[in-house]
Amino acid sequence: MKLEIESIDIKDIKGGSKTYAKDGVLYINLKELEELILRDSRIKSVDINLVYPGEKVRILNILDVIQPRCKIDKADADFPGFIGKVQTAGSGRTRSLRGVTVLVSNPCTNRKENALLDMAGPIAEMSPYGKMINVSIAPTIGAGVEERDFENAVKNAGLKTAIYLARGAEGHPVSEVELYDLDIPNLDRKSNLPRVACYYQLYSPQFDYLAISDPCFYGTDVTHMMPTVIHPNEVLDGGLVGWLSIKALDTYSIQNHGVIKELYRHHGKDLIFAGVVCAVANMEPVARVRSACMAANLVKNVLGADGVILMKITGGMPHIDLAFTGEECEKLGVKTAIFTQPLTPFGTLADTILFNAESLDLIITSTATFERTKIPWKAEKFLGGNAKTRIFCPDPIDQYAGDSVIDIEEYLLPGVLDCTGNVKVIVKEY
Amino acid sequence: MAQKKLKAVHYLNQFFGQVGGEEKATTGFTVKEGPVGPGLALQKELGDRAEIVATIICGDDFFAGNPDQNAEEGLKLVSAYQPDIFFAGPAFAAGRYSVACGAMCKAVGTELGIPVITGMHEEVPGMELYRKYAFICKTTNNARNMPEAIRGMVRLAFRLLSGEKEMRILARESLPKPEEYNYFSRNLLRNEYCDKTIAERSVEKLVAKLQGKPFESEVIPPRFEKVTPPAAIKDLSKCEIALISDGGLVPKGNPDGLARRSNLKWGAYDIESLFREYEVTHAGYFNDHVLERPDRLVPVDIMRELAKDGKIGKLHRLFFSTSGCTTVSKRCGEMGEEMGAVMKKGGIIGAAILTST
Repeated sequence: MKLEIESIDIKDIKGGSKTYAKDGVLYINLKELEELILRDSRIKSVDINLVYPGEKVRILNILDVIQPRCKIDKADADFPGFIGKVQTAGSGRTRSLRGVTVLVSNPCTNRKENALLDMAGPIAEMSPYGKMINVSIAPTIGAGVEERDFENAVKNAGLKTAIYLARGAEGHPVSEVELYDLDIPNLDRKSNLPRVACYYQLYSPQFDYLAISDPCFYGTDVTHMMPTVIHPNEVLDGGLVGWLSIKALDTYSIQNHGVIKELYRHHGKDLIFAGVVCAVANMEPVARVRSACMAANLVKNVLGADGVILMKITGGMPHIDLAFTGEECEKLGVKTAIFTQPLTPFGTLADTILFNAESLDLIITSTATFERTKIPWKAEKFLGGNAKTRIFCPDPIDQYAGDSVIDIEEYLLPGVLDCTGNVKVIVKEY
Repeated sequence: MAQKKLKAVHYLNQFFGQVGGEEKATTGFTVKEGPVGPGLALQKELGDRAEIVATIICGDDFFAGNPDQNAEEGLKLVSAYQPDIFFAGPAFAAGRYSVACGAMCKAVGTELGIPVITGMHEEVPGMELYRKYAFICKTTNNARNMPEAIRGMVRLAFRLLSGEKEMRILARESLPKPEEYNYFSRNLLRNEYCDKTIAERSVEKLVAKLQGKPFESEVIPPRFEKVTPPAAIKDLSKCEIALISDGGLVPKGNPDGLARRSNLKWGAYDIESLFREYEVTHAGYFNDHVLERPDRLVPVDIMRELAKDGKIGKLHRLFFSTSGCTTVSKRCGEMGEEMGAVMKKGGIIGAAILTST
């Protein structure tokens, strides 16, 4: 499978009468974009704003962050199953805009734990998105639309905007072409290099909101998914997207999946990238063992891997699933590197490990997602909410977006932490 | 700009406080104005920045007799001077002295909210007991290294007094790096910026592991002890049984303030009143079924039936509750021991059933 991502660096964005890109400037016909979003009858109105680094803007209730992308050589193939018709993602040519994101907010949410981003101050310094130009989209709910259904509409509005912007940049010179070419059936069998797979945990039903799972895989949810082999390009090219809430994971980070891109960089040099097994966390023990055995078997006996990187999403239960899978892999002779996320700020690192398996001897800290941080910064303008929007804190304190200091957990700050492994963060004892 | 000279108080044992040797270890508290013994070296290192206004001295045996109560006593003596910073020891490899230094630091730090600094060798009991309450500099096991130990303590003290934020910590707190300042980490975990992404580190380390080269795990996993189950109870019909759960069932209003996540507390509640008005404090599972009927978490209905049928002696009137969601295993063990001690005390509880989520 061969994927070419043609990146265009965008230095500025401006409103215009036509959507196009010239000399690194993206002009957007905001009226046309609004009409496109309002074609979804679940959306009553939409607030669209361009936000720039340094502005005293706080964007609230962020449901997802998306990199503008579109397929160049295939019709109706963008985010297949979500926007485009269902087909396999990951091959052909894709246009991608760098330095810009779509921040899609749900100002009508009833959820308690919602993400936010500031365009200046400490959060902007911490998050790569705070240094980019962002198109903020905040749709409002139509009459009689169910809450969960509206979340899907918000998500789709974000994805459609991402496609619209990327299409608009057609004809602009390409800054860089990245090639992701991995022919798994014909990998070099004679190579002495170790074959390394990625176990990619996609979702945990413990995050089901109102007892409904989030669609994140070709338009469907994955709660009952058995461990499945996929091609890494399907992840990078829109087959998989973020959830309907941000928990140190969003579509932008999946489109730029840290471990997959890193394995590609090493491919043919000191390892052979053998492919991806994706799976979900399980709610009960028998399912957990079944999933662990199946995943380990796919890693060892289908992909033929000698080593595997086991990546986790946030949460305690996903940690157990990951460890079970890791143990099964080691039993089959596959060497593991396993992620852990200390979920409490107290104790030693060893205290936070939830498994007891001597074979799992290479543990990587993929951030303490529930770490709290105090942000002493006051915004002047609010998008996706207002100064009275409640900001979640695990302690029973009342705090609002307009407060001069907020106390927030870092998994709710998009881009600051990233479960796909893109951030330069390690957890240390203090 | 001239800085205001800060006030320091120093704690020493009878030996370093020049009261006497082991024969004087039972002596109680004395207070001397100004620095004493190693305090002179400490004062020299502190220079013009701070002045040791008093030295609190206590015999090791005396202090170790009742560390908590004596720390309270010592705290009163320290508070009288309204210091800006507190030093204790260093204790090096001295066991009782390390506990006294740690207990004094804990009392002073908690009550006065000022930086508290001591020094110890890693093998003394005071280290593990008090590491989370004090900045404990690592020392050798030999008091001959006093000048070096004092220098380390003062360097750390200056860093703490500066209030400088650690820019490598995402949350930008004023926490010196343990490796840089050579102190025992204080049971805190923090996200820290580093030179490589998570992805880079994981691939690099896995490749090393596959090549049979040395690799460094970022966490050294704990080795849990195997717990042998106790012998079965011979006659359940005479046994009073208690119920325990980590599902977070608490009286309405959560009187003990159990946390939804990373909880470190537990409570014992009268089942009768609990089942009338309750809530669930736990972030890790759907508790709708429990809210509907708490028996689904804490099987009171079944236990009462069994008691009625004479299959068990009695259901204990108290329910032992905690919330186990991302709680550290070490603390879970402690809570189990605490609950066990309470249960054993009455002597009436013969067994306990633990239900989890």
